[in-house]
Amino acid sequence: MIPAVDYIRILPELVLSIFGIIVMMVDPVLPEQSPKKPLGVIAVIGVLAALAATAYQPGFYGSAFYNTVSVDTFSVFFHVVVLLIALVVILISFEYLDVQRIRSGEYYALVLFGTVGMMLMSAAVELVLIFIALEISSISTYILAGMRRRAAESAEASLKYFLLGSFATAFFLYGVALIFGATGTTNVYGIAHYFQTQQASVLAYLAVGLMFVGLGFKVASAPFHVWTPDVYEGSPAPVVALMSTGPKAAAFAVLLRVLFATGAPGWFWMVWVSAALSMTLGNIGALVQQNVKRLLAYSSIAHAGYLLVAFAAAKQVGISAAIFYAASYAAMNVGAFAVIGHFASEGEKYVTLDDYAGLGRRSPLLAATLTIFLLSLIGIPVTGGFFAKFYVFSAALQSNLVGLTIIGVINSAIAAYYYLRVIVYMYMRDERVEAPVARIPAGLGVGLAISLVATIYLGVMPGRVLDYAIQSAQDLLK
Amino acid sequence: MKFINDNILTIVVFLPLAGAILLAFFPRRDRDVRYFALAVSLITLLASLHLTWYFVRGQSGFQYEENVPWIPHPNIHYHMGVDGISLWLVILTTFLMPLCVLISWKSIGDRVKEFFILMLVLETAMIGVFVALDLFLFYFFWEATLIPMALLIGMYGHGRKIYAAVKFFLYTMIASVFMLAAILWLYARTGSFDFVTIQGMIQSGQVSGFGNAALWLFLGFFVAFAVKVPLFPVHTWLPDAHVEAPTAGSVLLAGVLLKMGTYGLLRFNLGLFPEQARRNAPWIIALAIIGIIYGALVAMIQPNIKRLVAYTSVSHLGFVVLGIFSFTQLGVDGAVYQMLSHGISTGALFMLLGMIYDRRHTYELSEFGGLATPMPVFATFFAFIMLSSVGLPLLNGFVGEFMVLSGAFQAKQLYGILAATGVIWSACYLLWMYQRVFYGNVTKPVNSSLRDIDARERVSLWPLAIAALVMGVAPMLWLHSIDPAVSAALKQFSGVTQAAVLPARNSPAAPGPPLHADFARNGVEVIGR
Amino acid sequence: MVPLSYYLVLSAILFACGVAGFLIKRNIITIFLSIELMLNGVNLSFVAFAAQLNKLEGHIFVFFVMVVAAAEAAVGLAIIIAVFRTRETLNVDRVNLLKL
Repeated sequence: MIPAVDYIRILPELVLSIFGIIVMMVDPVLPEQSPKKPLGVIAVIGVLAALAATAYQPGFYGSAFYNTVSVDTFSVFFHVVVLLIALVVILISFEYLDVQRIRSGEYYALVLFGTVGMMLMSAAVELVLIFIALEISSISTYILAGMRRRAAESAEASLKYFLLGSFATAFFLYGVALIFGATGTTNVYGIAHYFQTQQASVLAYLAVGLMFVGLGFKVASAPFHVWTPDVYEGSPAPVVALMSTGPKAAAFAVLLRVLFATGAPGWFWMVWVSAALSMTLGNIGALVQQNVKRLLAYSSIAHAGYLLVAFAAAKQVGISAAIFYAASYAAMNVGAFAVIGHFASEGEKYVTLDDYAGLGRRSPLLAATLTIFLLSLIGIPVTGGFFAKFYVFSAALQSNLVGLTIIGVINSAIAAYYYLRVIVYMYMRDERVEAPVARIPAGLGVGLAISLVATIYLGVMPGRVLDYAIQSAQDLLK
Repeated sequence: MKFINDNILTIVVFLPLAGAILLAFFPRRDRDVRYFALAVSLITLLASLHLTWYFVRGQSGFQYEENVPWIPHPNIHYHMGVDGISLWLVILTTFLMPLCVLISWKSIGDRVKEFFILMLVLETAMIGVFVALDLFLFYFFWEATLIPMALLIGMYGHGRKIYAAVKFFLYTMIASVFMLAAILWLYARTGSFDFVTIQGMIQSGQVSGFGNAALWLFLGFFVAFAVKVPLFPVHTWLPDAHVEAPTAGSVLLAGVLLKMGTYGLLRFNLGLFPEQARRNAPWIIALAIIGIIYGALVAMIQPNIKRLVAYTSVSHLGFVVLGIFSFTQLGVDGAVYQMLSHGISTGALFMLLGMIYDRRHTYELSEFGGLATPMPVFATFFAFIMLSSVGLPLLNGFVGEFMVLSGAFQAKQLYGILAATGVIWSACYLLWMYQRVFYGNVTKPVNSSLRDIDARERVSLWPLAIAALVMGVAPMLWLHSIDPAVSAALKQFSGVTQAAVLPARNSPAAPGPPLHADFARNGVEVIGR
Repeated sequence: MVPLSYYLVLSAILFACGVAGFLIKRNIITIFLSIELMLNGVNLSFVAFAAQLNKLEGHIFVFFVMVVAAAEAAVGLAIIIAVFRTRETLNVDRVNLLKL
């Protein structure tokens, strides 16, 4: 018999799934030609309800459903992050879907289902559930990537994402199989118990390696990053906003559980090398890009690298730095892609740097907003990106990772160049082509406001969020 | 009143930012925007005068301190305070700001609102740099100056403005990253970002592994500041940035931003790593002297007036670095004084150049000649400011240079002799430039009908001219408060300086009246001639 | 009784075949099948471990893998059809609008 409190512990997931189903059921009922805005509104209500459900959870910490789900500060923190991402993504999609003529019903439903998967990923402590959650979020995003059905790029992006994603899943699964063989359990705490009491076998090392490969694909860290630029370039911008932050944050949450909550051995050099490679390859790749979406795709690889630096720093400080980084990266990246999506116009025509020339004059507000997000990505003070990077490097130095810190610091200096290029184009060059800029619709405005406030808030008053991050890290290591 | 006194630094720092935020919601009526920006900068100036008014002179240590926890983990405090050194740099900033608004009144006609928003944000960041006593807070403001300045150059500059803006940004950004690494290292070992705490811990030897890392930490800070100063081999961003920047940008760049570098050297490199500073002084002084001479020589052959003035900055800031690394009371006093007076006179020079540019839209020397005929008032102002920059006695430039040179002589005669040639060079190139621009016949017909400067321009120049004169005649007004702060900063060097200084002199490490008497005697001697 | 290591080696070989197929083959359907092969290699490991350790988790896992693989297949084939519609080819080398 499952106690009632267990349902509270998955209440946000339940609520959101129900709303996803409602969206799907309302869609066919709406007249064919009528505007599909109501679906978006339902989705927004669903996310808000899920947020409320999450806010209700802190009184009910504990594990549920035979130890497969664990509700703690860690899971609540990631729930909130993922839900906020979903909220902003839905808001910025209102207008975008009309402009690109994308079918709304499936779109919103998939966003909601994907979000359910991401939330479950952060709460799951049983590898079976982690795997299922991972697949729920992945399959939703595979489809979302191909949502611009008329565009060949979009289908291609979807295909590449799908093939490489499944490939990565297979690696992850193999790792799970081996760790099951090595420890005789698939429960995170069970595994932790095993590693505490017994010597790790070769099988366990291999398992950790394979799981890291699988999750490395999901978080787009080098050398498993090759799919990222293509997929981000071809997918619809709001979807990129979602998949560059949500599944990534969730996959990092899983990685945190798998590497640290289990006390697994042998991850250090893997993480170290992957961090160094991600930062370097990501930044160097971004230097030469002309397409803004592609540029941000490389930047996202680099940011995965910074996050992994925090992983390498490990334990308390490193984990809290990583958690904080995931949150602030989500805030700024969602915002940046929101602006890009709006500016891309019908058929995503205007996505190269040349199209951005003179944007500062044509659309001062949008340009200023994008500038703040970009500055945050560089890591300039007053923005969340600055603090995030600061904590990461500070954590790395506290763990004596001088080499990795130096690589990271040099990389963030290099990175300034390509972000700056976008700003230079917007403000300092005169337009060659008159790329039109539509008025800022309400949904986009609200979405941008949320991510802007979050970015600045994390940059000026990070104390509270950081406390939660530290608390989460403690819960994770418990 | 108590409230104001306790929070005055916060008020001064964030007034401009508040103004900028208000301005963002302002309608795009350019005239009103200008008046509003002017009002904000004047109010800030007024508020900053509170600092000088209630400042306890003759006392070392920080005043008006504010120290509240900002973020618990990592242990970051909102810690601000001023001493005699930073006080005047704050005033310099708030003093130059209204003038910059005035000078941009007509020359900025496009995207006016953005321009003034950027200026006000920049002001907040600059003041913040001078008052921050928490290393984190300092870095925070330090980086924050970067964006508005780069945007000012890139959006409102001319010619190769993008190149200049990006170069400026990357130079400073990359260099300051090393400082960040050093700050983080210090935090990892001390558990604090607080300047005073860290200084105390270093002095009492509580920082583990400091001995091995000290050189790298010193260099980390040094690189960031040296680029900003700019010291000789890393100065190349400066001429580009200056030439392409709008007038107000140049004024702030030369007037304030460069001082952030020298201020940082004095406060952090000397304050935290005295031992390393002493060891590395020889080559740093060598670079400074190379900068003095090289800057002067290059300035002499520039065909572009603004570039010429930019190189004089390289030269003059070389004096400041020389003074700082002489580790003598006189030298460092002079360096601080030179920072202020360079801000005044070079700021004024750039404003004057901006006025020519508004009329002719060129900085080429060959385009001018005989300007004194159509523009007599302008020529008079120019002559006055130019002489103050040259270092004519009774004007501001003289005091600082004289003190720096005396300090340098005390430290090592060779330094003094080499640096002194820089003074001669600077007289050469500035006077030569003045002659080519203003004397003789009007060579180009366009120049004969140039308007002389109008009331607004005069209003923006008078304060600087008066400041230059007062600073030249009554330096004690400033030195009273600078001197104790400097002697406090040099306390750690007492052992060092004793050896370096001629034994007959007063001990330079001893603060207070003897020095004043000493200085006054020297000054009077020279001035009386 | 066949020892555990035999199963593990076989599953590793299956998995490796899948990886090789994924990397070498050019036809999208074949690539997709290679992924299925990898998953089945994993399944074999699970079952073998479950039998060896006498634990049910392994068997449960296999069922879930099969279910998810079916879902993936449905979505994957739909995506492949979408690509075929726009590009009229199933060769990955010619699905190259986005430079790799």
